[in-house]
Amino acid sequence: MVPGGSFTSKLSNESFLSLFMAGVLLLLFAAACVFVPNFYLPRNVINLLTNYWYVIILGIGVTFLLVTGHFDMSVGGNVALTGVVCAWACQAAGTSPNELANGLGLPYGAAVTLALLCATGVGAVNAFFIVRLRVPSIIVTLGTMMLSRGLAQVITRGAQRNTSLPDVFGVVGNTFLPGTPLKVAVLIMVVLVAAAFALERSTVVGRYTYLIGANVEAARLSGVKVNRHLTALYLLSGVLAGVAGILLASEFKAGVSSRATGYEFDALVIALLGGVSISGGFGSVLGMFVGAIILSVVTSAATGLLLSPDWQFTLKGVVTFLAILAQRFALDRRKG
Amino acid sequence: MTSAIELSTDAHREEALRATVKNLYIYVVLLLIVVGFSVARVGEVEMFGPGHFLSPDSVVNMLRTAAPILTLSSAFTLLMIAGYIDLSVGSAMSLTAVVFALLIREGATFAVAFGSAAVLGMALGALNGLLVMRLRITPVIATLVTLSLYKGTALLIVPGGVSAIKSRPGRPMPAWINDYARADVLLGLPWAFYVALLVILALVVVQRRTLVGRYAAAIGGNRTAAELSGIDPVRWVWGLYVLVGLCAALAGAARASYMSLGDPLSGDGMELDCIIAVLLGGTAFAGGEGSVGKTVVGALIIVCVTTGLMTVIPAFWQTFAKGSVLIGAVALNHLLTRDRPRLL
Amino acid sequence: MEPTANVLELRGLTKDFLSVRAVNEVSFDVRRNTVHCLVGENGAGKSTLIKILTGALPRTSGRILLDGREYAPRNTRDAKAHGVSTLFQELNVVDQLTVAENLTLGTEDTSFGFLRKSRRIDRVIEILHSLEPSIAPRQRVSTLSVAQKQIVEIAKAVAAEADVLIMDEPTAAISEGEIERLFRIVKGLRSQNVTVIYISHRLDEIFELGDSVTVMRDGRHIATKPVAEVSGRSELIQLMIGKTVFEAYRQRSEPPGEVVLSVKGLCNRKLRELSFDVRRGEIVGFYGLVGAGKTELARALYGADPYRGEVAFHGRRLPTRTDEVIEAGIVLVPEERRSQGLFTILTIRGNVPVMNMGRVSHHGIIDGTLERRVARDAVAELRIATSSTEKEAAKLSGGNQQKVVFSKCLFADADLLLLDEPTRGIDVGAKSEIYDIIRRLSREGKSILVFSSELPEIVNLCDTIHLLYEGRIRETLQNGPELDSHRLLHVATGGV
Repeated sequence: MVPGGSFTSKLSNESFLSLFMAGVLLLLFAAACVFVPNFYLPRNVINLLTNYWYVIILGIGVTFLLVTGHFDMSVGGNVALTGVVCAWACQAAGTSPNELANGLGLPYGAAVTLALLCATGVGAVNAFFIVRLRVPSIIVTLGTMMLSRGLAQVITRGAQRNTSLPDVFGVVGNTFLPGTPLKVAVLIMVVLVAAAFALERSTVVGRYTYLIGANVEAARLSGVKVNRHLTALYLLSGVLAGVAGILLASEFKAGVSSRATGYEFDALVIALLGGVSISGGFGSVLGMFVGAIILSVVTSAATGLLLSPDWQFTLKGVVTFLAILAQRFALDRRKG
Repeated sequence: MTSAIELSTDAHREEALRATVKNLYIYVVLLLIVVGFSVARVGEVEMFGPGHFLSPDSVVNMLRTAAPILTLSSAFTLLMIAGYIDLSVGSAMSLTAVVFALLIREGATFAVAFGSAAVLGMALGALNGLLVMRLRITPVIATLVTLSLYKGTALLIVPGGVSAIKSRPGRPMPAWINDYARADVLLGLPWAFYVALLVILALVVVQRRTLVGRYAAAIGGNRTAAELSGIDPVRWVWGLYVLVGLCAALAGAARASYMSLGDPLSGDGMELDCIIAVLLGGTAFAGGEGSVGKTVVGALIIVCVTTGLMTVIPAFWQTFAKGSVLIGAVALNHLLTRDRPRLL
Repeated sequence: MEPTANVLELRGLTKDFLSVRAVNEVSFDVRRNTVHCLVGENGAGKSTLIKILTGALPRTSGRILLDGREYAPRNTRDAKAHGVSTLFQELNVVDQLTVAENLTLGTEDTSFGFLRKSRRIDRVIEILHSLEPSIAPRQRVSTLSVAQKQIVEIAKAVAAEADVLIMDEPTAAISEGEIERLFRIVKGLRSQNVTVIYISHRLDEIFELGDSVTVMRDGRHIATKPVAEVSGRSELIQLMIGKTVFEAYRQRSEPPGEVVLSVKGLCNRKLRELSFDVRRGEIVGFYGLVGAGKTELARALYGADPYRGEVAFHGRRLPTRTDEVIEAGIVLVPEERRSQGLFTILTIRGNVPVMNMGRVSHHGIIDGTLERRVARDAVAELRIATSSTEKEAAKLSGGNQQKVVFSKCLFADADLLLLDEPTRGIDVGAKSEIYDIIRRLSREGKSILVFSSELPEIVNLCDTIHLLYEGRIRETLQNGPELDSHRLLHVATGGV
């Protein structure tokens, strides 16, 4: 998980936990293969690795913030808002008596830019209240969650915008990588995770994130520009939500106001499953990725066992709880 | 150099002034909102007549639907005063609503169903307390986990194919389930409202005149000082979580009764409403102080705003409006409760 | 049972921390209903002794008799239950509650959980008013001054029938007028059946307040006498310093260079009109005891706290944001190394480059090889005793941890170092090594400001010594063979 030693101790607690959770993943996978028919087929395995691509993208921002001790629950609403704005922006202007079919008539590129600006704007609002006014992040981001989703609902009048969209709108979300069953979105997810991982391990910016999480006072006294850094992280989280929103809107060829309901919770869950801790500044996006696969395995197995989708809430709750306990136990045992 | 005694009197006066503002602003806000909605459609609707914001029907309806949030936010306040939070209250409310409706449909008496829901609520609260105080999981994360658990359980109790526990072929939901939350008992208001009123009054008294309230403030204000004085935070805060769970059950029973069914999604978003009410009421994020009474006013503000907006703007503006209210409440709360560090 | 003449008897009390013996076979008696003062320099062992008495630390060996019975508190609450209360510097009052509510916290009278008005509340308020009639019981504690909050805590302890009330530097944070009042109250406590153990570095207070005084030095008990038998400040100072042979201060071979830091009229909440200059290669000491303003000055210069005044560094106005101050070439070794100086969960390698990441990275990307080399160099240069640079900082000894903090700061290529209590809690060997490092830096042309309450440290290291007391520079001395260390302690303890 961590190339060539790390800036934390030899087999750092982080790497240990990531390995531990990877082990848990393998165990769960093995169990699922036993109980669920066809679970081990390559096609299914590929699905497991890729079907939560959007949550993983959101998870990047959420993980970085969690490492510093902050929450971002606004990502789900942000995803919806971005998709809706993107759709609305490129709907043909003023051609139809139906309000929901009229948009700004902008070219796709401009629409995407506008959508990303909105996404960043949500991040900026978060940063203002959390960094500047020092309001607890859980409260602020729950508020911006409602604001962004609410705005999406206003723009779509509570429904969705899926008419008079240009053809290009549906391209990026529905293109497959040549010769594979994978969509472009998955590639984007992989690239982003890899970039995030590189950022976290090998860059100064990534290092600062950990410093702030480990000891914010020492970070300040060491000259780390804490406020600026946290602001940047919230903006990043916003942008990532924007990217996911645009891709999803493209995939479904619609800007839907109810999109991404609960994704903020899922993003948090996969980070927790991956061993990211809210206190103490550790956790890795790679761990988050493993956490996402764990979640994927659990939910797919549940579907395979013909459990109704209603099971997912209970499952997520139980799995997260067990993961927190297991991680704590493993770490305590390790400290001897 | 100013003598220390004079300093304290000045500070005392300034503090008294700030305290007055802090005490009164919320009533002003409520008044403005009520007046605002009353005159909003002044041309279209007759004052106090049918369809008006303050018509008897409208007021009764608002108070009836307010029972859950009033109950929940009161208990929520005490927990926040102690410096803790419970994000699972909405799901606990849904789960107890589902169980309540189920029991009634399957033949239980009101007392049995109500009692069982209450016990369930306390158990849900106790589980939260266990996670937060014994296992020492961060309250936000712990209660998000239980949010998921309780919501999931509620969804699973309701069989696939139906959306809620309601009448089904061969097993109708008894009509009297409605009585608790709708039937006129006094002044047009139902039992559920008066129970909520009782709970509010009780919790106001608890906050001001009992050990529970005193210790909640001590734990939230200066945990070390509290511990040194012999107060065990684990025991007291655990108790508060149980109390919140109980009130969630009361809210759940009221909602199920009102809607004649047990909807596993009925409590969604309640935790946000509680947070808004508590913020409007001026409870500080960090704990140590707060007021059940003012939170209740905050809850009334939410009810008025929600109801009033429905008459003025289309339904799809609701979420945005609520989000704005929350962010606005955050800003307001910040202005009211921030400390002024005096380093210069 | 007849109350014993001595409320406390210590016999051979010893406390060891790993390699450091903080309290060494201390034995003395505290007579009942007296004000018993405890004095000693920083590092003399006073606070460790107090922590043992209040149950915050376990002893290594020795006995304590409280009221003639064995006393071994498991924690602070246990100590309180036995009648030993403490007035800490961090006040233990709940700001959001009223005076009366604080006074009765934990001991309320209730019926079925309802708070009742009772005789007990009246009694406690009576006690409060006997100490200070002007504090209204219904006042919110947040509106009280520090001194008033102290009085509330004292009243609470008296009401809880404390036998022993320990006061740790109570006058550090309160004003002159309030000090008078506190003295009156403390003296009055004797007639309330309370014995006060009073710790203070302000020697005048000892003479005004104390019945007896115990002097500690280097963890040992030096003397316990009735204050009436102490001839004066100098006797106390002599006892506090003893025959400590200060390592001879090495006179500089070259005089310091040009002025690099110029401070005029610096003030904030704790500091009053400080003005001084620092030259290139000079080691300037700021000597003062608790509350004198050392950390405040260091933090102000570092941009960690706001201030007014003119500060020029290399002729240019010194920035007021920490990251800019570091860039300008000033670094701080903070007072608390674990909570402010180090990232304890990171390794040595992780800690060292933090203040100047640019030197181990290219265009923002960290060069792992460079990082490892830098850490190894730092370990070698400062002789950090560790098997590898991959060791978690939390697992190092105090001395080595401080060396890591030093290497962290040195890595920032600073011209001027602010050292706040640089060798607190460090064993003698490491102390000596750190002093060598400091002297070497000075020879290399770096300017050093040492903020310390350890007299030997100041005397051994510094070329120029400013004596701080209550936020002001009371006197400035040049170090040399004629330096009178007694004078240093005299001024730092309030003398003129």
